[in-house]
Amino acid sequence: MRAHCVAIAAIAIGLPSIARAELPLMERDQPVACAKDLDGHTWRIQCDHATKVCLYAADEELDALGKPVKPLERAKDCAFDPFDRAALAAAGYTFEPGRADVPWGWTRDDRGRAFQINFDLRKRVFFGVAYTPKKILENPLESTRTSIDFGLLVLNIKNDRTMHRLRFVEGGVHLEPFSAELVLAHYDLSHRFLDPLLRITTFFGEPARHDLTLDLGMWTEVGGLELHRTARGNAQLWKHATAEVTLDLWQSADLGSFARLRTGLALEGQRDEVTGYHSAIVQTSAFELDMVVDREGFHNLRFELAHELPRYFVEMGDTGKLAQRMKARLHYEAIVLAINDQPLSLKLAMGGEKRDDIPGLPNQWAFVMDAGLRFSLWAPPRARL
Amino acid sequence: MGAAARAALALVALAGLWIPASAECTKLASGRRYPVCFDPGNRLSVTAGSDGFGGAVALRQTIHFEDDPDLQWKLEHQIAEVASAGGAIGLTALLYRGRYVRHTRDGHLVLPLGRPRKIFLPFDIGGLVEAGRLTRLPDGAYELGIVKTAALVDLWRTRDFRRRLAFGPVARWEVGLARDTSVVLKDHVVAPFSAGIANLHAESRDGLTTADVTIEAGTAWTTGGGWRADARAEATLERIVLAVNDRPIALIVGARYRAATDEAIASVGARVVLFQAADPRAR
Repeated sequence: MRAHCVAIAAIAIGLPSIARAELPLMERDQPVACAKDLDGHTWRIQCDHATKVCLYAADEELDALGKPVKPLERAKDCAFDPFDRAALAAAGYTFEPGRADVPWGWTRDDRGRAFQINFDLRKRVFFGVAYTPKKILENPLESTRTSIDFGLLVLNIKNDRTMHRLRFVEGGVHLEPFSAELVLAHYDLSHRFLDPLLRITTFFGEPARHDLTLDLGMWTEVGGLELHRTARGNAQLWKHATAEVTLDLWQSADLGSFARLRTGLALEGQRDEVTGYHSAIVQTSAFELDMVVDREGFHNLRFELAHELPRYFVEMGDTGKLAQRMKARLHYEAIVLAINDQPLSLKLAMGGEKRDDIPGLPNQWAFVMDAGLRFSLWAPPRARL
Repeated sequence: MGAAARAALALVALAGLWIPASAECTKLASGRRYPVCFDPGNRLSVTAGSDGFGGAVALRQTIHFEDDPDLQWKLEHQIAEVASAGGAIGLTALLYRGRYVRHTRDGHLVLPLGRPRKIFLPFDIGGLVEAGRLTRLPDGAYELGIVKTAALVDLWRTRDFRRRLAFGPVARWEVGLARDTSVVLKDHVVAPFSAGIANLHAESRDGLTTADVTIEAGTAWTTGGGWRADARAEATLERIVLAVNDRPIALIVGARYRAATDEAIASVGARVVLFQAADPRAR
């Protein structure tokens, strides 16, 4: 027992070196042993039998002076098995300071404090503010070039080879010119089919098989609302329901990123102060790219190119029975810091729109670019591939 | 703001500072135990008072994590809160309000650029989400609060729901409604995080007394008149005075003020709890 304690005490001599930066992190999925030193402090030890290197770290968080202050957060349980440092050293093992294990998506600093470094922005509640720059400087708190956006629940759920994407109360409001968008509920799914729709075998040279897989899915929204304020008054566009079929052109291995085409029908009603209320069936088509660029989820890119053709049941003023909407939008979001492990991200967006369905809006391409910040709640670590 | 409303606000604020404590949550009478502690956060209640009749569902939920016992999410939900005096007198209704606070033993800021760094911060963070608030204004028009969100910093940290001192920027989008042959949308009011919110909440240990004060102030933009100053305050004090069949009945006093309408209203009433989760200490 005495030899055991002395062995552990010898490890404790390494304490000052814990302040060194970039100590190796213990593997979460490998066993960790615990042992106490002569002062009663617990140490975590993990040995790699292939390299014959044992990492050791304090089982408590340290203060700035290296003094243990409280238990480690998010460290897995360790067993107090007999530990003989002398025997291991005789067998050729070396002992190096390290950092205690943490779950996937987390890390520790040199004092053992855990914090999240991987974020899934497809699981969150978010709200943000953005600003569209212009040449004239304005009071930042009273800028009419400001917009807000929000999502009361963004939730991607992966089930084997299917990704379910849910969004509730998501939208944004621009001050001037005033416009607002809101969707009460959105649901879409992507599925990875294992069996190809067509198998093409080529016989040029060595016979080879080429699979043509159709990764079909669906896309639905209910309770969409667009508000516009034009020179001819207020216009409201109620997008009651939309249902579309999707074809994924590309899917990432975790189904978190994709490029797809979608097309379908929507039922909507438009009310403005010039022509009153008109219902329409809308043919909609779009190309979408939604991509998490890096493994940690820090860089997120989205692009959408959409075309909509509302066909009104009753002729609508100068527009007639058929209108057209086209829009393109590129959106980039990058996490810049995290407060209590809740990410604050920078959003850069640019887009263009051309439409002739709303009286008072010019029938020409209009472009907008804005930059802003988003704060997200929840945002757990991304699933490990 | 009238003197009566000011006095009511001050009374509520003072009462919030005096929180009696009770360690014993059940008492014995005639061989049977009865609860004297109540959970004000999980209940279906109806109210009757100077604001009219109404009711609300309140739920509280705590999410724990096995690998980090120091971390928990405290979720508070208020659903379908209504108070109506009928006719032209008044109506306030709220579809949903959620307050989510992430409590940890130590708060921190992480700078993930390059080698991640952690900076200690002595507060919890969270968010406020509100959707579907309908208010009848004194002129008979309606105001629909479509969405309100706020980032919260809670300085009075606790593992339970009994106290909170939270501050943060707030974003709000409201629209005026008028009834013609159909519902017509009027002016929009948008505060793009140009206002701040402060919320003080305290409950006694036995749940008999609850006090809450919320102040919002800042600027908001309207489609009709551009930017304008906007302030609103609301305070409530609830005291359970008796229980019938273990269901509490509380007296409530409150006051609210809005700068936009220069309206201050004090209220008094009674709240009857129809269903509630039993306080764990009283089971």
